[in-house]
Formats: sequence, C-alpha cells, structure tokens
Amino acid sequence: MEKRPIIEVRDLVAGYGREVVLRGISFDVYPGEILVVLGASGCGKSTLLKLLVGLLKPMSGSIRYWGKDIKKMDEDELDHLLHKIGLSFQDGALFNSMTVGENVALPMVEYGNMDRELIPILARMKLSLVGLTNSGYLMPEALSGGMKKRVGFARAIAIDPTIVFFDEPSAGLDPITAAGLDKIILDIRRLMELTMVVVTHELDSIRSVADRVIMLDWGEIIFDGTLAQIETADHPRVRQFFERIPDKTIL
Amino acid sequence: MNRDLSSKESDHAATLHLSGDISNTVGQQLVNDVTRIASRGNREVSIDLKELPQLDSRSCAWLIEAVRAGRRLGARVSLIGAHGQVADFIELMRANFEPPPVPTFYRDGFLGRLGGKAIEAWDEARVVGNLIIDALYWSFLGPVGGRGLRWKALLAEIQEMGVGAIGIVCLINFLLGLVIAMLSAVQLRMFNMQILVASGVVIGFARELAPIMTGIVVSARTGAAITAQLATMKVSEEIDALKGMGLNVAKFLIAPKFLSILVSLPILTIMGFISGVAGGFLLGMLSLGFTFDSWWAQTLQAVKLGDITQGFVKSFFFAMIIVIVGCHNGLRVSGGANEVGRATTRAVVMDIFLIIVADMLFATLFYFTT
Ligand SMILES: Nc1ncnc2c1ncn2[C@@H]1O[C@H](COP(=O)(O)OP(=O)(O)O)[C@@H](O)[C@H]1O
Ligand SMILES: [Mg+2]
Repeated sequence: MEKRPIIEVRDLVAGYGREVVLRGISFDVYPGEILVVLGASGCGKSTLLKLLVGLLKPMSGSIRYWGKDIKKMDEDELDHLLHKIGLSFQDGALFNSMTVGENVALPMVEYGNMDRELIPILARMKLSLVGLTNSGYLMPEALSGGMKKRVGFARAIAIDPTIVFFDEPSAGLDPITAAGLDKIILDIRRLMELTMVVVTHELDSIRSVADRVIMLDWGEIIFDGTLAQIETADHPRVRQFFERIPDKTIL
Repeated sequence: MNRDLSSKESDHAATLHLSGDISNTVGQQLVNDVTRIASRGNREVSIDLKELPQLDSRSCAWLIEAVRAGRRLGARVSLIGAHGQVADFIELMRANFEPPPVPTFYRDGFLGRLGGKAIEAWDEARVVGNLIIDALYWSFLGPVGGRGLRWKALLAEIQEMGVGAIGIVCLINFLLGLVIAMLSAVQLRMFNMQILVASGVVIGFARELAPIMTGIVVSARTGAAITAQLATMKVSEEIDALKGMGLNVAKFLIAPKFLSILVSLPILTIMGFISGVAGGFLLGMLSLGFTFDSWWAQTLQAVKLGDITQGFVKSFFFAMIIVIVGCHNGLRVSGGANEVGRATTRAVVMDIFLIIVADMLFATLFYFTT
C-alpha cells in the first residue's frame, strides 16, 4: 500500500499515574484498511484507543492524524478531528436515560448540520446495519450485552466518520452474532469507505476482515504484518497466543 | 428546476431522474416532487438512479424519505436503474424503506389502571413488610441463633454513618440552638421573662428539635447513600449475583446498616441535643446576661427525664424509617442509571415525610397521655 498513512504513532509511552502501560510503540494506519490490534487482556489495548482519541494524554511520543500532531492541535482542530472519528466502547457505553434510537441520533443532533427530518431515518439506517432495524424505541436496559455493543457501534458510525475505533467487538457475543460481525464490518467498509482499527483479544472472530495485524504484548508491539504472516510467525509469544498455551506463571 | 433532478409525467406514471449527487437541496426537492406528483393522484412514481454515481448514508436517507412520502399518499414509489455501489447500498438498507412498526404496549382500561395502582400499593406494602421482618431477623435473631453477623461491615457502617456524621449533626443543632434562643428571647423580652429562654431551648431540643434535625440530616446523608449504593448494585446486577451465590441480601447488606443506624442515630441525637443547648447557652451568655450557673440551674429545673427519653425513643423509630426506606427504595430499582437518581430523591422525600408523620403521632400520643 503506497498511500500516506492517516495515523502515525511514534514512540508512544503512556499509562496511568506513574504506572507505564504502553512502553514506546510505533505504527501506522493506512486509509481504507482494517487494522486489528491483538493482545491478551490487560496488555493496554483499550488504553491505546483512549490515547488515539485523545481521552488520555501520552507521557511521551506522538500521534499524528493526516500529518498533524494532536498535541499541537488547537481546540477547533481537535473538535474537527473528533467529528471524523467514531469510537465504539467495550461495553457499549450507552446513555441509559435515552432510547436506543436517541442514543444513535445524539451525535447527529449535536453536530447540528443535519436535516432534522432525516435524523430518525439515518439513525434507523445505522441500526439496521447492526441488525437492530426495529429496536430504536427500546431502552438500553432492555438489551443484552451483545446488543448494547452493536448499538454502540451504530452510534460510533452515526455521523459517517472516516475512522472508527472498535474496542473488543466480539467479546461477549454469541458465535452467530460474532460471525455476522465480519459481514457488518465488510459491508460498512465497502459501502462507506471507512478505515477501521479493531482491538480484540481473539483474532478468530474477525479473521476474515483483517488487512493487517499488530500484536501487543507487555505494552510493546511484538508483531506488525499481514494475517498470513502472523499465522506463520515464529515469535514465541505469538505462537503461544495462537496455540493457546497458558502462561507458566498462571498455572 | 434543478439540473440534478428532472421529471417526466404521463397519465398514470411519473419518472424522476437523478443525476449527480443528492445534496440536501436535491433531496428536499425530490421529496417535494414525489409529494406533489403523488398528491395529484398518480399511483406510480419511479425514481431513476441510473446516473447516480454513488450513494452515502445521507443521500440514501433522502431516498427513503421520498419513498415513504409517496407511500403515505397512496402512491407506489419504486427505485429503478440502480447498479454497483448504489444497488448494494440500497439492498443493505432495504428494511429502512418500510416504516418502523409501531410497538404494541399492553394497556389497561380505567378500572384496570385503578386496580393496578391499588395492587401496586399493596405489593409495595408487602415488600416493605417482608423487608422489615428480614432486617429484624438478620439483625437480632439471626446473630443470636448463631447464624452470624458481619461484624467488620457493621463497624465500617458505624464509622461511616455515625462517627462521620458527628460534625455536621453537632454544627447544625448548635446553630439551630442559637437561632431558637434568639427568636424566643425577642418574644420573651416583651414579658421580661428572658429567664425562660433556657427552659424553652432545653425542652424544645430534648423533645423535638434534636431528634428531628438529626433525623433529617442523617436521612439526607446516610439514607440517600444507602439508596444510591443499593440501587447501583441492583442496576449492575450485583444484587442478583449475591442472590445467585445463595447469599442472603438481608444478612449481607441490610443487617449491618440496620444495626449501625440503630446504634448511631440515638447517640447522634443526644449529641445534637447537647449541641443545641450549648448553642442556646452561647446566645444567653453573650446577649442575655446569663452565667453558666444561672443557665444550668434554669435548664435543670425545666427539663424532666421524660423529655429526654421521649426524644431518645423517637430517634430509634426515625432510624428504622431511614434504613428501611433507604433499603427499600434502593432494592426496588430496576433499569438504568437515571433510576438511581430518582430512587435517591424518592427515598429522601419519603424519609422526611415519614419522620414528620411519625413525630406528629408521637406528639399526639404524649399530649393525650400526660
Ligand atoms: N483507569 C485506570 N487506572 C489505572 N490503571 C488502569 C486503568 N485502566 C487500565 N489500567 C491498567 O492498564 C493496563 C491495561 O489496561 P487496558 O488498556 O484496559 O487493557 P486491555 O484493554 O488490553 O484489556 C491494565 O494493567 C490495567 O490494570
Ligand atoms: Mg480493554
């Protein structure tokens, strides 16, 4: 892929308080690709997403979008950037006081450049992408975990962002829904020209959609390459992950 | 006429041609055209998408709106000539061209609703009754019968509800003591009987002010916290988890709170009483010329042990009201985070109301028995 990267991450160090979780990672995200960030739970995947959308400040290193460092952006630029980004949280993070439809419509209402009469139609379209066409009137409390996650995804793509970050899309989903997820992701990518960064601890669930895989271990990137390459990689931790060998310390 | 939208009409059918992207202006015009054509009685409207280069969410939404607008007026709107990405997009969004089904909700008639309210009230009363029995059992009989009490939790609760409230309870009663002394001093000065300020303050605080003020402070502080905690646990399914593990909610969560508030509130009330009297004394000394001895003598002469026990006894009942109302409102929550706030509000309002009602009953009782 000879295109210029949309996101360039360089030597990113970050954590909570004084504890370092990510110890200097660098990678690129190219337009139109589906990048899967793989790693055991607790290795810092969610932390990485929080950094990428500016919810957490790095200790050092840089994150550039379209060549511009987010540290150097002023408030307007940052706002503008956030309008191009969709984030779908691990557990949906729906607003409990609003219906499912209102949750999805919220970003459209708030960004204010949308025809009012279109908003309900658009919200329902996004819901139909995740298989919940006629669930708009439900309250979040009436949804199962997997459904909440799908609504969260619908909300993340509500304003047709350029980039979507997807935290653990398949965790907690039944196999049928998880398999349907591939189709959803591919449909959306094909028809809406999205770039996606998908964070997960199980590659299996989204195997067929990954263009490129990055593997995180102990806050470092131990692999960066295509799906075919990771299947045959001989890094011991990568093998351990794929062959499901438990850590000795846990046994 | 927009150059991206043109139309051809025959007797019964009309065709709209789209070329170029569907901007908001074009989309709005498309909807208007379909509405206009359909309202003239045309039964067939086609929208030709042959020359549409591509579709995004927003332009697709305009198509959906146009199709639905036609259908509302009884016309059949069909999309023709779509190919490539446009066709795929429309296929993916097929379900959206149908209007959303209206969800059905079960609805009672008037009598049914009236009956429903009555049943609800009765159910709630029964639940509260069971809660009281459970709380009493697991606080007193359970531990005595060797079924255990969570001592650590109890001590932590006493620390939180009791010790933690001493400051605010004493301060509020002290300030109220000052105010009451000021008020009564002005009134009694007219009869040159400021001496009676001391007795007024002490009797007022022993019987009414200390128990009520302390009760209200504790219900706002602890009662609200109990409800918020239990409601949050309920919402996040922690309560279900406890029950699922076979643990008894009354023993695990309620008994420690019940015992703790039963211990704390009477002691806090006594402290509040002392603070209130001290507040009164401060004013008496500063502006009415009392000395400690004269205030003390007047106080001792005015107050009877019965006044103090009256306030003390009441505080036990207030404690029970606060903890039962708090637990009940927390546990009855079902739903999401906004329910937690609503439950907490309901608990505090109920607390204050029930405390005042209980106080009134006590006042009546004492009035007629002495
Ligand atoms: N808010 C937080 N405060 C402190 N430490 C945190 C916080 N969130 C996550 N961590 C720690 O950071 C590490 C990575 O967490 P996270 O990024 O959530 O992992 P993952 O999403 O890969 O499972 C974990 O060790 C976790 O304990
Ligand atoms: Mg995570």
